[in-house]
Amino acid sequence: MNTTVESDLASAQPAAEKAPVTMRRIRLNWVHVGSYAVLLVLTVLYLGPLLMLLNTALKTLPQFMRDAAGLTATLHLQNFTDAWQKANFPKYMTNSLLYTILATLAYVITAVFVAFPLARRYVKAGNFLYTLFLIALFLPPALIPQFQLILRLGLYNKPLGYILLFLVNPIGIIILVSYIKTIPKELDEAAVIDGCGYFRFVIQILLPLIKPAIATVTVLHAIGIWNDYVLANIYLTSKALYPITRGLIVFQGIYGTNWPVIAAATLMLALPMMVLYLFLQRYVISGFTAGSVRG
Amino acid sequence: MSYYFGRGNSRWIPYLLILPGMLLYFIVALGPSLATAVYSFTDATGITGGAVHWIGLENYREFLTMGMAARDNYAALLRTLKFCFFVSIIQFALGLFVAMLLNQRLKGTKFFRALFFMPVILGVTVISLIWMLFLYPLGGPVEKVVELFGSHLEFLGGQPNEAFACVIFIQIWANMGFTMVIFLAGLQTISDEVIEAARIDGASGWQVFRYVTWPLLTPSVNTNLVLNIIGSLQAWQLFLILIGYRNGTQVLGYVVYAQAFGQVSGSTTANSFRQGYGAAASIVLFVLVLVIGLTTDYFLRRREERLLA
Repeated sequence: MNTTVESDLASAQPAAEKAPVTMRRIRLNWVHVGSYAVLLVLTVLYLGPLLMLLNTALKTLPQFMRDAAGLTATLHLQNFTDAWQKANFPKYMTNSLLYTILATLAYVITAVFVAFPLARRYVKAGNFLYTLFLIALFLPPALIPQFQLILRLGLYNKPLGYILLFLVNPIGIIILVSYIKTIPKELDEAAVIDGCGYFRFVIQILLPLIKPAIATVTVLHAIGIWNDYVLANIYLTSKALYPITRGLIVFQGIYGTNWPVIAAATLMLALPMMVLYLFLQRYVISGFTAGSVRG
Repeated sequence: MSYYFGRGNSRWIPYLLILPGMLLYFIVALGPSLATAVYSFTDATGITGGAVHWIGLENYREFLTMGMAARDNYAALLRTLKFCFFVSIIQFALGLFVAMLLNQRLKGTKFFRALFFMPVILGVTVISLIWMLFLYPLGGPVEKVVELFGSHLEFLGGQPNEAFACVIFIQIWANMGFTMVIFLAGLQTISDEVIEAARIDGASGWQVFRYVTWPLLTPSVNTNLVLNIIGSLQAWQLFLILIGYRNGTQVLGYVVYAQAFGQVSGSTTANSFRQGYGAAASIVLFVLVLVIGLTTDYFLRRREERLLA
């Protein structure tokens, strides 16, 4: 008796489940179709402008004038060499790289030595100092007094003055502090017992352990400098000091109608960022959103 | 708190090493930020070694009450609110909608997520140039589509309202991915079982969203709303590159920049390097952000308490 009841149940159950499952599958599919339709429209909006950039960069100027939207018939790669030479690209690119690398390096090193004692409360008033970084996001912009400061220090239109502005980033400190807090404190104790000093501990033991946070902060900070236009516009007036962003906008002002060459130049500016983004996407996205997630 | 690294003189090593970063922060960021209020009471200029005088509330009086300039300033203030309203609402809704789409078991969600987030890393320069080209008024792709409807638009070079609308669109395009990523993170904390349970109880798709997903999303809703509102109130860089200083398009953030740092591209009202006046404008914007930000925060908190009760 028992067995028959069980087998009855066993055969009844799948049958009872089957009907709603197939019904739901049909409905879900429609939802999916609709979703894909919306996503397709958005993809056109997000990919379209980029494809237009690539398309234009491969056209000749007369071709662009005749039909701006049409598909390119040529692979006019000369636009890239033109942009490279006429836009003074090698110089601007070197400047951008120099500013980005130097400022990011200096920032990350100083930031680790700020974040570690704050996370561990190794300095007095550590909580208060940390709060000063937290409130930074809600204070008025520092733009004008910053300019007065740089002006009075005699660093206006000097690379050092420009780099100085990028040695600060509260969000980077917040990311580092919260990551260091996940590293057990017993590690500090153990290191001390083995005779390790403070400086050596941070450099040789802590640094390798917080690599993901370092990567996130580095990428976030470097992107900010690489993309800066406004501060370069304010502080660097000599052509020889322009980073690539300002160089490109000035170039666009001069060659306003020659879109094929401008498009080629824009691509060359955007490409390093896109490649970086492709490979370090996880760090990039977590870096940009880290400051906004409430604890 | 216990401290393990050495005693005596070596106790000071953390202080010594924290100093460079801390000093930089005070001198380059925190100090100047607070000093904005001080500068707003002076007639500081951008001239090297120029004298600075205390002029009390003169900058504020001029900004808020004097003739044509004050009228332009109020117009800019109103425009800032308009910009904030459209950008935050559309960006919020679109970001949530796209996050919901990508939270399903679809193929290619990783690709879509990466694509929609990408503008966030491209920066204002590249974004501006890309859209100047895409909105090219002489036969560009968007213009071609507009032509199909027998119409013609100048986009960024058109009437102030037309150019302003374009910047609103581009601002949303550039930042929607950010809102989306935060919503996606929020959606992923909602367990499938809760949704499944609601469905078994017979809730429709809309009811599941209204009574399960939406309340559980509260933390990301609050974060996104506050960030969108504050961010759009302070935004101005796209205006600088996309249109330049043109009457009928400026927002407050741009007025600050234009007054304090001069503006090369054909301006009528912007005098160059009036830093004290610019600082006053900056404080007006700051107060606006503070009032709207705090009000929003207050209502969001009240809502959260109601939901939890």
